[in-house]
Amino acid sequence: MIDRGTTASTVKERAQLALNDDFLRKAVKFTTERLRNGKEAAAEQHGNWEEWRERGKQIRLHTIAYLDYYLNLFADNARANGVHVHFAETADEAVKITLAIAEHRGARSVVKSKSMVTEELHLNRALESIGVEAVETDLGEYIIQLAGETPSHIIIPAIHKNRYQIADLLSAEAGEILPPDTAILAGFVRRKLREKFLEADIGMTGCNFAIAETGSMVLFENEGNARMVTTVPKTQITLMGMERIIPSWADLEVMATLLPRSATGQKMTVYMSGITGPKRKHDADGPEEMHIIIVDNGRSLQLGDPEFQELLNCIRCGACLNACPVYRHIGGHAYGGTYSGPIGAVLTPALNGNVAEWDDIANASSLCGACYEACPVKIPLHEMLVYLRRRKVEAGRGSKAESLGMKGFAAVMGGARRYRTALKLAQLGQKLVVRDGGIRMKVGPLKGWSSYRVTPALADRSFRQRWDTLEQEIRSGLSEIDPTVQKRMEQKRQERGQEQGGHGHA
Amino acid sequence: MPDTERSWLAEMESRSLAKQEAFINGIAAKLQRPRVLDKPAHPFRGAPDFWQTFEWPVTERIERFTENFRSAGGHVSRLPDLDAARSFIAGKAAEMEARHILRQDGPELEALNLEGCLPEPVRVAVWNREPGDNWKERAAEADFGVVYADYAAAYTGSITVLSDAGKGRSVSLLPTVLMAIVPVERLKTRLGEILGDFDRSGTGALPAGIHFISGPSRSADIENDLTIGVHGPGIVYALIIG
Ligand code: SF4
Repeated sequence: MIDRGTTASTVKERAQLALNDDFLRKAVKFTTERLRNGKEAAAEQHGNWEEWRERGKQIRLHTIAYLDYYLNLFADNARANGVHVHFAETADEAVKITLAIAEHRGARSVVKSKSMVTEELHLNRALESIGVEAVETDLGEYIIQLAGETPSHIIIPAIHKNRYQIADLLSAEAGEILPPDTAILAGFVRRKLREKFLEADIGMTGCNFAIAETGSMVLFENEGNARMVTTVPKTQITLMGMERIIPSWADLEVMATLLPRSATGQKMTVYMSGITGPKRKHDADGPEEMHIIIVDNGRSLQLGDPEFQELLNCIRCGACLNACPVYRHIGGHAYGGTYSGPIGAVLTPALNGNVAEWDDIANASSLCGACYEACPVKIPLHEMLVYLRRRKVEAGRGSKAESLGMKGFAAVMGGARRYRTALKLAQLGQKLVVRDGGIRMKVGPLKGWSSYRVTPALADRSFRQRWDTLEQEIRSGLSEIDPTVQKRMEQKRQERGQEQGGHGHA
Repeated sequence: MPDTERSWLAEMESRSLAKQEAFINGIAAKLQRPRVLDKPAHPFRGAPDFWQTFEWPVTERIERFTENFRSAGGHVSRLPDLDAARSFIAGKAAEMEARHILRQDGPELEALNLEGCLPEPVRVAVWNREPGDNWKERAAEADFGVVYADYAAAYTGSITVLSDAGKGRSVSLLPTVLMAIVPVERLKTRLGEILGDFDRSGTGALPAGIHFISGPSRSADIENDLTIGVHGPGIVYALIIG
């Protein structure tokens, strides 16, 4: 079995690996298309989708605009409910608090329900380092944990594995040969994890929403493992991104309308649970002790940044992944971070303070705007991708990141020729890769004729000016390549053809 | 809890309080304004206006609930009264050869008197009746869990159960089959009609666990092939009474 996503280090290399894997591509396509169609159906059936989206956006905008007030209120109310609330500015602090709790509770095993934040913190590894077993209990997460991999999709983490591979993994765990039959495999996991739930010392969860006015935390799921994790073990630890807040239960109705429909096309996930504090005195189940760790880890970098603050509105539904032609083609591992797809392309560098090594991810997108269309809270991801590239260019971040990026880009789009969006991308790419008053370009489908070094054609305008044009183009939609641009490019090609010798590349 | 643990928690608590101040102030600083201490006006609270007054007549609520719950893989039966519910559950218990039945405590299920009508060797346990018993394990071994729903919402096909001493969260989670009795007067149109109650009761009055259940536990994680009953009950009945 290939240990995908851990060996290759650039988007290009990772994309190459994914592209060679036929099964992955088909699986990703099949599932995402089904989910996407489901979503479209659910949205249509629900009616007034645009009004709901707008409402969702307004609620998220409002909450983030007053995040100091609401987060403080949440923390106070959660404490009043008997929860131990902690604040962690960095991943390191969050891990330390978690480990301290585990140690003080003498924990030997932790059962976890799906949580992107714990992925982000690499908590499993940390727990294992102090001898605590961390068991993922979401069926897909459990499978990839057995395989020693990382998730490739927010909602369907094991999207890249087929049932034969899964049967092999589970058979090794069972110590007997299990047939590649979905029901039998799931049955084995049910039995196996039942034992784990009952013997675990700590249950660990993420948090979909935290309700400020009552200090409650809300989880959406289909399997019931998040309920197990919050019901059976004696101690519960919830890791929560500081932006997960909504003001009230009334607002939860809007999120409950948008999230399941956008994520899987369901009207509602099988379970939606609101947990308000540890078990009450006379209750016979529920955790005796409950901790909520509120995590910043780069999120506050987006606060007050007009271009990126809306990232904090994300409800982690995965709709933008399903809508993205590039994601559909290369799969999640190619993005190399915890979060994949369009949201990952922006969020990963944003959480990391836009560090250079992540810059190539921003290029693995076609800027076609499908992610924005799909987003239930209307986050303009496609614009953010452009902001990210612009910042890179403006910061004069060396040719290393850029050329890496463009290579990754070429790998992705070279194989995705049939996407019309590739054309738009090339069109944009020309404008984006501006440096030293010229253009360097060798992008995907246009590669054959655009492999020249510097085109001075646009050099009479500043990047800023061009940026405005670009923004307008994005806003008014980029359905087709502009015929005049095409003509100009074709002309260039002919000119190139007449020149002798090749020009090599920087 | 030993004293050392108590003092450790107290220490964590005071550290957290100090940190909270800095953390929240930091957010206000990033937002480039002084800290907001009073409740801000929230003009977009809750669902859009057109939705707030939307309500189906009861027959349509029943129809829609049934349709939605079934399409999520659940079963729905409409029954005239609790006597009919008793025979229904007894019938299913016999048909599926259930041995262990766990029910919530409470006057309605007391009146249902399952205990009186299910012959040996079927054992009916009542959640948290005798303190000290390991109730989570009782729930894990149960074939049927029987609950009396606090609410239901037709639009999403959801049943709501609230926890308390007699109403363990495990009863609707660990058994293989879930039987939920839904009195028709508790069946609402929208989720919002239910959620509003939690805002009104506010902090301090909410139960530890509020669970919305919209069908059998499911997963599509293996090759997108839908599997039922991965962790929670794989068979779920909603019995609408009245
Ligand atoms: S950016 Fe929007 S579509 Fe993408 S995961 Fe977040 S909320 Fe969903």
